[in-house]
Amino acid sequence: MQELLNHPAVQGGLAPFVVALIVAELLQRLRLSGLAIIAGFAVTVYMASDFSIEPLTASRKIVLLGLLSASLGMPLMLLKAGWLRAVLAVAGGLAAVWVVQRILQQQEAAAIVLWGVGCMLYVGWLVFWMESLNEDSVRAGSAGLALGLGSGGAALFGASALLGQFGLALGAAAGAFLLIQMLSNSPLPCGRSFTLPLSLVAGSSACLAVLTAQLPWYALPALAVIPLAAKIPLPAKAALWLQSLLLSALTLSCAAGAIYLTWRVAGAPPL
Amino acid sequence: MKRNAIAILLAASLPLAAHAESYTVDPAHTYPHFSISHMGFSTMHGRFDKSSGKVTLDRTAKTGSVDIAIEASSVSTGFAKRDDHLKSPDFFNAAEFPTITYKSSSMKFKGDVPTSVEGNLTLLGVSKPVTLTIDAFKCDTNPMNKKYECGAAASGQFKRSDFGMKYGLPGIGDDVKLEFEVEAYKD
Repeated sequence: MQELLNHPAVQGGLAPFVVALIVAELLQRLRLSGLAIIAGFAVTVYMASDFSIEPLTASRKIVLLGLLSASLGMPLMLLKAGWLRAVLAVAGGLAAVWVVQRILQQQEAAAIVLWGVGCMLYVGWLVFWMESLNEDSVRAGSAGLALGLGSGGAALFGASALLGQFGLALGAAAGAFLLIQMLSNSPLPCGRSFTLPLSLVAGSSACLAVLTAQLPWYALPALAVIPLAAKIPLPAKAALWLQSLLLSALTLSCAAGAIYLTWRVAGAPPL
Repeated sequence: MKRNAIAILLAASLPLAAHAESYTVDPAHTYPHFSISHMGFSTMHGRFDKSSGKVTLDRTAKTGSVDIAIEASSVSTGFAKRDDHLKSPDFFNAAEFPTITYKSSSMKFKGDVPTSVEGNLTLLGVSKPVTLTIDAFKCDTNPMNKKYECGAAASGQFKRSDFGMKYGLPGIGDDVKLEFEVEAYKD
């Protein structure tokens, strides 16, 4: 049994999928199904790493950021102000810089500006556009599936299995969230507790994989297109399973592009 | 009277100071090696290609110190893909923690030969005590360049999980064996 639990595919795929499935279903009546994404991520952190924060490394900052943003996402749902989306995007961008701060500090001034601004724009962009999906659970779920699998797959090929597992866990959890909707043909409550940790963790993990592993920077634009691809108009009367399939096919093609670009640079994953 | 006392103290300290010798590590002949179990099938060996540091020795007073800095990104196992993985956040996290250090706190001697070093290994921002046993030690003039140098082979062991390096446990072993070949020229 222990051998099974130690398997990376169980830790980064099966376990977050099953936990997210249970959490999304159980918390449906409380309208907190969006927490499925952080529940799936947390179980992977528990199995593959730990929750300790000393020393506060970049990957531990990502875990902290995920947990805090999921908690913050619940009260933030009460706010309907139009400016909030922009504020969250700026805060998300700054949080990404905080995640990679120690790495940036060891670079030349030009590299600090280039990578710092790059990470800030990438994560800020993801937060901004994922925010626009927080009330549409099918679109958010499809974007989450692709963003998680794309970031995780690219990080895995880019020679960081831990960051790969972080992303794949998000993808598996979003897949579970989407599957319930497809099978029941009814939307689940989503909210900022789904979109905020998803965009922050996936975005920061990809930035970190660029800076510390071999994920090429030009794979990030392919991932950045995912929330936009999830906004494509679909027939309003189409069944949820069909909407999910169409949106997932579209967003996953962007994710596949990012993984392909990384594979061309880095080759096979380090298994 | 006071001036005499200072003079006596200075005179007393001179022989000790005269025996404390300072050495600079020769990077071309200093390589920290490590070995670790790969799922119980085999033992993988690796080394760090770049290291630097200072050693002081006072063989009369039986004291000394070791201060070594190792470049984490110089890890080499003979397989580039594995080396990339070892540099990533899964293992040595070289971009975030570029330097691994070992600073001694005390040195034990048998006669005038050092036999072990106690000190702190700092890896991934975590410092833990690690004792190095000195298996071989020699000081002499290098016949090639006529410079006086000391060389040593030291070994030790630590658990990587103590430093927060937990990826791949327990398949990839927790116990890391260190073998440290060092040469240092007298300053």
